[in-house]
Amino acid sequence: MKPKLIIGIVAIVGFTSLLMYNFGESISTYTTFEQAGERANAHIPGIWDEEKGAEFSLETKRFTFHMIDEAGESRKVVYPKPKPNNFEDADQLVVIGEMRGDTFYASEMLMKCPSKYNDTDPGQFTEASVSQNL
Amino acid sequence: MLGILGKILISASFATSLLALVFYFISANRDQEKTLRIGNWLFAAKTTFLVVASGILIYLIFQHQFQYYYVFNYTSLDLTPRYLFSAFYGGQEGSFMLWILFSAFLGFGLMKWTRPPYKAPVLFFLTMTQVFLLSMLLGWDIFGLKLGASPFRTIAEEMPNAPFLQTNPDFVPNDGSGLNDLLKSPWMMIHPPVLFIGFAMMTIPYCFAMAALWKQKYNEWISPALPWTLSANVALLTAIFLGGYWAYVTLSFGGYWAWDPVENASLVPWLIGTAGIHTMIIQRKSSVAQKSSILFAILAYVFVVYETFLTRSGILGSSSVHSFVDLGLYNQLLAFMLVVTLVGLGLFFWRYKELPSPEKEASILSREFMTVSGAMLLLILGLVIILGTSSPILGQLFVDKPTPPEISFYNDWSMPIAMIMAIFTVLGQYLFWKKYDAESLASELINPLLVTSTVTILAIIWGDVRNLYYMVYLFCGFFAIVGNGWILIRLIRQKPKLIGGALTHVGFGMLLVGILASSAYNSPLVDQQTAQYNEAVKQGEVTDEQGFKVTQLEEMLMLNLNETILVDGRYMVTYEGYELDNTVRRGQQTYKIKFEPVDGGKPFYMRPEVYPMLTSSTAENIQWSVDPDVRTGLLSDIYLYVGGSSYVQEQNDRAAEMNSTMQNVADQDTTAEKESVQSFNFTPGESKDVGNYTIRFVNYMRTDSTELPPNTSIGVRAEVELIHPASDRIVTLNPLFAVYSENGQSYIFSPPSFAREFGLEFQFTQINPQENSIELTVTGLEEEYEPEWVLIVADEKPFISVVWAGTFMLMIGFSISIFRHWGRERKKNSE
Repeated sequence: MKPKLIIGIVAIVGFTSLLMYNFGESISTYTTFEQAGERANAHIPGIWDEEKGAEFSLETKRFTFHMIDEAGESRKVVYPKPKPNNFEDADQLVVIGEMRGDTFYASEMLMKCPSKYNDTDPGQFTEASVSQNL
Repeated sequence: MLGILGKILISASFATSLLALVFYFISANRDQEKTLRIGNWLFAAKTTFLVVASGILIYLIFQHQFQYYYVFNYTSLDLTPRYLFSAFYGGQEGSFMLWILFSAFLGFGLMKWTRPPYKAPVLFFLTMTQVFLLSMLLGWDIFGLKLGASPFRTIAEEMPNAPFLQTNPDFVPNDGSGLNDLLKSPWMMIHPPVLFIGFAMMTIPYCFAMAALWKQKYNEWISPALPWTLSANVALLTAIFLGGYWAYVTLSFGGYWAWDPVENASLVPWLIGTAGIHTMIIQRKSSVAQKSSILFAILAYVFVVYETFLTRSGILGSSSVHSFVDLGLYNQLLAFMLVVTLVGLGLFFWRYKELPSPEKEASILSREFMTVSGAMLLLILGLVIILGTSSPILGQLFVDKPTPPEISFYNDWSMPIAMIMAIFTVLGQYLFWKKYDAESLASELINPLLVTSTVTILAIIWGDVRNLYYMVYLFCGFFAIVGNGWILIRLIRQKPKLIGGALTHVGFGMLLVGILASSAYNSPLVDQQTAQYNEAVKQGEVTDEQGFKVTQLEEMLMLNLNETILVDGRYMVTYEGYELDNTVRRGQQTYKIKFEPVDGGKPFYMRPEVYPMLTSSTAENIQWSVDPDVRTGLLSDIYLYVGGSSYVQEQNDRAAEMNSTMQNVADQDTTAEKESVQSFNFTPGESKDVGNYTIRFVNYMRTDSTELPPNTSIGVRAEVELIHPASDRIVTLNPLFAVYSENGQSYIFSPPSFAREFGLEFQFTQINPQENSIELTVTGLEEEYEPEWVLIVADEKPFISVVWAGTFMLMIGFSISIFRHWGRERKKNSE
């Protein structure tokens, strides 16, 4: 075989494995509060724990609420931005951030909102930053 | 009635397309002129049916025929005509229609300008893609097998089980649910159509490449395909730019690019298309790279379809801001994608052995090598982005239920690739116009390198760049600008018609520099105190109540009405109130925020907006949306939006109250009314609005010593005006404040003054000599006084202007090339 061909193949294989490795590292899996543990960038889907309310504090400029994850566990979530749009309507939330003790610090939040008339509709996710519920 | 006609027309359009496909196939196979002509007539009939169907849909939208689900779901009575029109392509079905319409119109261009032997096969493949796209609109139900989703389906067909239809099958809603408020923007008029023009045009290089493989003529297709590919490229680039600009100035996405799958969906075909342009140009010049030209032309469209599949099949549901709702088209989209890919790549590998290969390998310092390498880099970049976008599918190799990759994945890979590209653009441009060996090229590059180094060093010093990686990146970016600029100037003098390439490469360099500056050096505008806090957070010195390190920076700015604060050490910022305006959007508030540069520049106003989203708000729950204001500058932009305000809070409280009163009318107001006591600070001359009253502290007054207790050290009265605008009455009060001593202790004496007609009681309770203000305590006010405030999020984004300038250079450069290649094509046609 020609040496150039071998170099080429090695380069391609090397590049691809590095790319795939990095790709694998940069994605994570949707998880629960319990399993989020020490993970820095945990994605946790769940629903708003309505009974425990939700509040934006002007002093700390944080939005605080409780969320029930897929394992049925309810934890406090702190989000450092104003209350996102559609928050009350969302039938599913995804909070992205980390656990600290019993509190989850979200840096991002996604909301899945039902379409108005059709409950079977899977609806759409909207990113919290798109529009703010003030 | 019209709906049925619409459905029939779409079915007829689909059927004539299928027939046209057959005739084009026969014509292409046998090189027959007659069958080609029949095919063309069928094609024209197909287009006519589709145009009429689109006309009907637009008519139904304008006539507010809400019994049709599409009309109901995307429009409402209050929409102005322009948004009614854009609702035509606001939903998935309509956007398919628009796409096919553009594709069909392009078909007539191809009929007119394409020469045999490519004509029939090109039209065959174009029609093939249209057959698939049309099938998405059929709405046929063949023994339970659903084919397509018709834009003409009625509400009853869409929701057969809805309770209101069970009771009344002929139910027609009074009003539709309306166009999403975020889409009510002038950008909605222009961005989607341009995007679909781009998608439709990207089909054409695919068709030509397939025709070349079919007819086994691998070189001649380049000349006609090149101007089409360039045009597709400009259209997509324009669409990407419009989308980015829209996201930036009105949607408060926080920037112009977020690596969102839908954004990637237009970027990747653009990258691959651009790769194709590179190889086509070099193939035309030097008769090399036949394989890659064909491959890129195929891949560019394959990725259009693949990204369409990703964004419209519902797969991305959870990872994209604006992917479409799943319409149950998954299988059809999958089939479309597989056919386009398998037919394309299948034919390519079938003919692979036959395809011409270069006789000898090109040396590294040749324009052939450089151009093909550039194309390969574009392909690699495209593949990396595709990989990231495909995370819901490919991520399953690594984990269950994969999330999208972190943004850093895209940045970490695209930056080094872009840096290599930048170097290659310069080498490629030099070698493109003249032959060099290593030595002569090096000596030629000395001057550009010197200029680049100087500019880079200046930029590093001026911009305080500390990151070594960014320094190297900046060097590459500036090298692309300077090196290509060098060529550009030379070309302008010698061959001004050929500057397209050099211009695009300068634009690319500007993009690189602008993207880094605007994203890595984006800084939030906050006041001194918050800045110190953020600095402490960065040092890891801040802990929260539970003793954990705080990592989130605070990027909000609280402004009280008419209170000026210093922001970022550079601006005195004052909130001057808001205006309510119902003319543009009902309930819209425009906030007036004044910026006065400390260094004596001209003061300016920022006017961010907040408005209730009418389509999704109810009386009990208002959903607000924001429209940021961007102050564009040559060096930096100020980007600002409202995160909250006293007005919005009031409205929300009112709505919440309304909600609770509606829920429990019975146990209203059981709480005993308590006498409210409130204190206010006033400076002389200041007035405050409290509930129904205005309270004004006019000035201090002398007081008679006889009214004062013995041993008084201070004794002063305040002249206070209580204004009740509703009854037009003004009451003047003179409450007393005195400090006296008794048995060596000091006491404050502040007897109440009464405004009996309003049941209010005033006390002058304190003097603050430092601020020259007094405190008045008022008892009996029903409403609490709330200061007016606004919470803003403001960012300074440097050199966004350079990003736009780079994009414009790319557009202009590509457009110049279109004219050049099209001009040559036209000459050939007239021969």
